[in-house]
Amino acid sequence: MLQAININKIFKSEGAETRVLNNISLEIPPGEFLSIVGRSGSGKTTLLNVLSTLMRPDGGELLYRGDDLTAMPEAGLNRLRHADFSVIFQFHHLVPYLTALENTLLPFMRSLKPASGELVQRAKDCLERVGLAGKENRLPGSFSGGEQQRVAIARALVKSSRILFADEPTGSLDKKTGEGIMNLIAELNREGLTVVMVTHDPQYAELAHRSVMMEDGAFA
Amino acid sequence: MNILTIPLRNTWRKPSRTLLLLLVFTLGVMSIVALYQVSLVIGDSMEKKLSTYGANILVSPKNETLSVRYGGLHLGDMLYEVQPLSETDTVAAVRSIELKDRISAVAPKLVTTTRIGETPVAVVGVRWDDELPIKSYWVPEGSFPAAADEIVAGSRAAEKFGLAPGDTVNLMGRSFTVAAVLNPTGGDDDDVLLADLETVQAITGRADEVSFLEVAALCHGCPIDDIVAQMRDMLPGADIKALSNVVNQRMASIHFVQRLVLSISLVILVTAATMVGLSMLSAVNERKKDIGLLRSLGYSKGRVFFIFCVEAGIIGILAGMLGYFSGYGASFKALSLLAMAEGARPLFDVNHLLLTCAAIGTVTVAAAAYPAWKGAGVEPSRALMAL
Repeated sequence: MLQAININKIFKSEGAETRVLNNISLEIPPGEFLSIVGRSGSGKTTLLNVLSTLMRPDGGELLYRGDDLTAMPEAGLNRLRHADFSVIFQFHHLVPYLTALENTLLPFMRSLKPASGELVQRAKDCLERVGLAGKENRLPGSFSGGEQQRVAIARALVKSSRILFADEPTGSLDKKTGEGIMNLIAELNREGLTVVMVTHDPQYAELAHRSVMMEDGAFA
Repeated sequence: MNILTIPLRNTWRKPSRTLLLLLVFTLGVMSIVALYQVSLVIGDSMEKKLSTYGANILVSPKNETLSVRYGGLHLGDMLYEVQPLSETDTVAAVRSIELKDRISAVAPKLVTTTRIGETPVAVVGVRWDDELPIKSYWVPEGSFPAAADEIVAGSRAAEKFGLAPGDTVNLMGRSFTVAAVLNPTGGDDDDVLLADLETVQAITGRADEVSFLEVAALCHGCPIDDIVAQMRDMLPGADIKALSNVVNQRMASIHFVQRLVLSISLVILVTAATMVGLSMLSAVNERKKDIGLLRSLGYSKGRVFFIFCVEAGIIGILAGMLGYFSGYGASFKALSLLAMAEGARPLFDVNHLLLTCAAIGTVTVAAAAYPAWKGAGVEPSRALMAL
């Protein structure tokens, strides 16, 4: 379903070049739970950014349902990010001045057309699913870290995405809260959602069907 | 909940910053509106005042001039084929041109000569009601005539004939009382006697006849050439001249005020727009995470750009509205402080209000456009990594 072929990424800083991804090839079939592990600086977050189209690679191909995403125009990538891909981050990345419900509905607030009643209900259901029923109108600042991450997951759920990219989703959470989030992600995967997760925690990596270890921009 | 929810909520996320920005821009708009209103009122007021310092169009009968010389002796210039002007027809014609609203005064005159004793003197018949508005520089010793048998003496004429207010003088077989003597004006008025036009017409047997007319035209966006052309069409038998120096002086005064207002307004507007631009630059940098998040959710560059522009536009439209009302109010105070309006009122116009809001909204959006586009164009992962 999602296939990376010889992906390269080079960062340039003050005239110096650093090869962050070095000929990475990877295939992710539908419904898989893949974890990417490795030390800090090994390139796992960069790989996740490339796979989720948040960053364009400097070389290689990224194939998704027959299309090469590296050659896809910006408009096509926007459609893909809107419909098929969801990303959750270590620091949740919620819009601080929007309520939990509005943050959940954010993917559908892209135009002047108001979100339909059906969508609003779906967003409420998603918030209920992640254990935030009755907290729809609260601002992110009033939530704990775990709750904020749940809002981010609800936002991914409401889109009915095909692939969830998670970058250290428990990185800023305590152990108990982190386990709750991981159980939720695993549950979603069991329901058919493809998950690509970056983590440096071996315990959480074990929840995945498959783990790949990164070292110096390549698979170890 | 739609895309407007994002800029609307963000505008009030930091109320102190929003209010400060709004205040600065409102003050800018207020200054511009107040200056504009004051310049309009003062412009009109100045025109009216300037019009009282003399006419700017002269209507006289068409004539041919012949310079007569014979035997080395210059016998002077002779006028012939002079067609006298009818007061009724000429005044009616002037008052009926298309630009008649610009005509502030029409002052007909009949000039004749007579003698006091053996000394010749010119007598000018005028209509006091028409004459005095354009001769505000006349300062009488005594009071202006209230009766048909009263006259006003120019300063040199009074000196020449020993006339003082209250004296009586015989002109063309009729007795007149000197109602006033004019202080020196430095012009032709100093040498003549001024009398009621109808009386002069009756005594000289030239009923309804005038020698020339002085016309004062208001010069707001002064179409003086158009006024003269229209008068020429209406009065083919008359010679009509624009006194361009007077016109130019009036125009220069008004244009000076307008240019001054325009310059100050531009400086204020550029300063306020720069502040909005800087504020938006800082907001874009602060909100790179939001930009990255929106882009990761499939928001295009254009949609992110739109969000920032709407935020700037909200400030601009609000500032335009508040600035217009406060500027309108401030113009009253400014005019009373300047004591230049003399009963004139600033003009409230809904179209001006809408235009102001639209213009200021456009300026703020334009000021925000560069930082907004720059911010929106950042690659999503870079925006997210910026924090």
